[in-house]
Amino acid sequence: MAYASPNAAEIETSVGVDPDLLDRAETASDVAIDIHGVSYTYEGETDPVLNSVSLKVRDGEFVLILGPSGCGKSTLLQLLNATIPQTLTGALDGDVFIFGRSIRTTKVASFATEVGMVFQDPDAQIINTRVRDEVCFGLENLCRPVDEILARQVEALAFVGLDGFGDRSIFDLSGGQKQRVSIAAVLAARPRLLVLDEPTANLDPAGMAEIFAVLERLNRDHRTTIVMVEHRVDELADKVSRVVMMDSGAIVFDGEPREAFSRRRAAHSDEGRTVPISAWFPQAAEMAILLSDRLGAPLEAKHFPLNVEEAVAFASERLSPGKVPKPATRVVDEPAASLEKPFLEVRRLGFGYERDQSILSDISFKLGEAEIVALCGRNGSGKTTLARLIMHINTPPNDAIFLEGRDVSRLGPREISSQIGYVFQNPDHQFVTDRVGDEIAYGLKVRDWSDEAIAERVDDVLGIVDLKRYRDRSPFSLSLGERRRLSVATMLVLEPHLLVLDEPTIGQDHERAQQLMGLMARLRERYKTTILMITHDVRLVAEWADRALVISKGKLLFDGRPEAMFGDQALLDEAGLLAPPVFAISSRLAAQHPGHGVEPTLSLPNLADAVAGASS
Amino acid sequence: MTRGTAFQFRAGTSFFHRLDPLTKLVWLIAVSLLAFGAYIAWLQITITLFVMVTALWLARLSLTVIFRGTWLFGVACISFWIIQTLTLPGTHVAFHVFGHPIYAESADYALASALRIYAIILSSLVFVRTTDPRELAIALVTQMRVPYRIAYAFFIALRIIPTIEEEIKTIRAAQAVRGVVRQGGVVGRIGEMKRYAMPLLVGSLRKASMMVMSMESRAFGAYAQRTFVEAPQMNATGVAVCALMLAFVVIWYGALMLGFVHSFYVLTGT
Repeated sequence: MAYASPNAAEIETSVGVDPDLLDRAETASDVAIDIHGVSYTYEGETDPVLNSVSLKVRDGEFVLILGPSGCGKSTLLQLLNATIPQTLTGALDGDVFIFGRSIRTTKVASFATEVGMVFQDPDAQIINTRVRDEVCFGLENLCRPVDEILARQVEALAFVGLDGFGDRSIFDLSGGQKQRVSIAAVLAARPRLLVLDEPTANLDPAGMAEIFAVLERLNRDHRTTIVMVEHRVDELADKVSRVVMMDSGAIVFDGEPREAFSRRRAAHSDEGRTVPISAWFPQAAEMAILLSDRLGAPLEAKHFPLNVEEAVAFASERLSPGKVPKPATRVVDEPAASLEKPFLEVRRLGFGYERDQSILSDISFKLGEAEIVALCGRNGSGKTTLARLIMHINTPPNDAIFLEGRDVSRLGPREISSQIGYVFQNPDHQFVTDRVGDEIAYGLKVRDWSDEAIAERVDDVLGIVDLKRYRDRSPFSLSLGERRRLSVATMLVLEPHLLVLDEPTIGQDHERAQQLMGLMARLRERYKTTILMITHDVRLVAEWADRALVISKGKLLFDGRPEAMFGDQALLDEAGLLAPPVFAISSRLAAQHPGHGVEPTLSLPNLADAVAGASS
Repeated sequence: MTRGTAFQFRAGTSFFHRLDPLTKLVWLIAVSLLAFGAYIAWLQITITLFVMVTALWLARLSLTVIFRGTWLFGVACISFWIIQTLTLPGTHVAFHVFGHPIYAESADYALASALRIYAIILSSLVFVRTTDPRELAIALVTQMRVPYRIAYAFFIALRIIPTIEEEIKTIRAAQAVRGVVRQGGVVGRIGEMKRYAMPLLVGSLRKASMMVMSMESRAFGAYAQRTFVEAPQMNATGVAVCALMLAFVVIWYGALMLGFVHSFYVLTGT
């Protein structure tokens, strides 16, 4: 192999790129983004996605955009490098200027040195198969000299903490590492504005923390302007300088984080000092809202905590040193579901695609009825492989997995799917018909139910998942939240004893995540269904799970109550997990103020009650 | 975590990994030409052994990878061999199977045909497994003067094949848990493809659109030319490999044209 550089004389501008792109002087203005009265309707659609949106972002700001699914957040981001209107055509009204240049007259490629775009799925945005090639890609397109490209590539990889990764194959990286490569690939062009659309949605908590740390340094040390859509607010709230909340294509709040998260969520955003119910709030701020309610003492926005440290200080100030607390309300451990006759039993399971590459080893656990169990671990730890073995999607070894005492390796797909439902991460993969009603009926038809019984059952299930009005629509025309509910419905119509959910809340807003988990809880009540959810979402585990299983490097490290899991820091480190803020806050308060009745808890109301009970 | 497909580039340091893509392309074309130019079993056995030795020794592919990549074709080749041996006409009976005559010409021709397919599949596996699609695209631009936008379209197509394969596997698994049972036969396969089509199309379009946005936002296509930080170039070893393969092809086809060897099996003494 040898290096080869292009003939500079051959380089020419084309497709309307600004001729001075390479040597452009910095603009004098400090306004990075200037959006004025923008409405946008996608081609072929009738309803606008954005309605009269105006937003001005100055150089060096770190802006977090929040809002429910489908509110127009991602569409707004696509304006910021002229993807709309240059690539995605449609009806655009209003003006957008990025560093003083209009998106109507500037090509996407012309923004390459000023605007870096990072998307949700690193696998879909990474073009090359080797790390170095990916990071060099943009600068190669800009016809930079080889020496400069290589130097910037090294610099960008070092910045995201991937020194020496240049020769690695993309296929050998974890999800967090891949996303850091995506960020390095845009940083190499030294953009002044970084735009990120849910960059941590597919990452485990450790991967997420890596990304947020990189972004914080970039904004703090290099004054890079950052605009990001993200649902995981607990780790971000204290890092951003501004929060923009959107609902139905409009901006309903724009201000500082403390101001944003001191507001109350409401179903209608036009109520005074409220924001859309769908927005995720940091638990630190939620605790402050609950506590101020308990104490009957309204708080000013500037006093609202945004992170664990601030929340601990906030609560500590309210604990009375001399007050004798009421006896603490202890969460009584309910007896675990009877596991003497488990519905599902995994015995010393080992599995690997290659003989010398073990993915799972010596896994043993039992599942009883009516449990909600979280299966946690890093990306690539073997969680999905385990679920696929339970479903016999991958052939399990003999005598390793037992369904009501029968060896799963000897059961057919129909026997298994009549007992276990599996909701895939991408609901689209599971749809097999053209109508919502037919989709739910499908599982019953292949089991030879009568037409009358099918009609009755489908009607019932459509009601449970609130999709009756879409009975005749194509499944693919529904929103993501609706498609996920439909994929759950296709499973629950068979009344399975066990329902496996792969990342049920990924990319979902707060309201829809709560709706989905509420549905799971009702299933448990109604059919005694056990729910096994594969998840990275520690708040989901804290709020809904009765029990947690932790897998790391193919081994089962933990099987017990979530409180015990979050209380074991060594375990969390090993499995790349983080404790939810409510647990971290309550644990620190309990350690700092013994005897005040505050115990480590996963329940925000319990924490607020305990602190209120011990305050003056 | 899922197992990657065998027909997918994996980085390595073998002799073949170190060759430039153009040399490997010449090797692949030469093997194919040799395989297509002969209908004699001994020659196809020689070519297949040559490719197998290359795969194991020069490309460092494991037997597992070779099996995973070629077993389906291997089964097809064996079926093809048996059927042709039993059905093709001939003049010299070699032996009988359950009273059915097996002709020497038929058996030889059938074995040669089956091995030809297998040798080409195996050599393709060696090529794909050891050649980074990006390097191939760059070689097309820098060594064969193909416009880079076209070469990258080719590269993206190669790059996305394993992704689509994975997507199909996931869709198949997702639909299996709905109680969808795979059906054999043409009608069953058509029904299966119909069920896979929409989720695959939706997913592929979403991924393709994301890839386009990712490339455009990094100035792809902005200029008529682009820099290549690492452009593979043919070295002395590559030249030697190309010369050797070219010599094999010229010698074989020359020998055929001059009548020194027969393309078809000819029984000695007839």
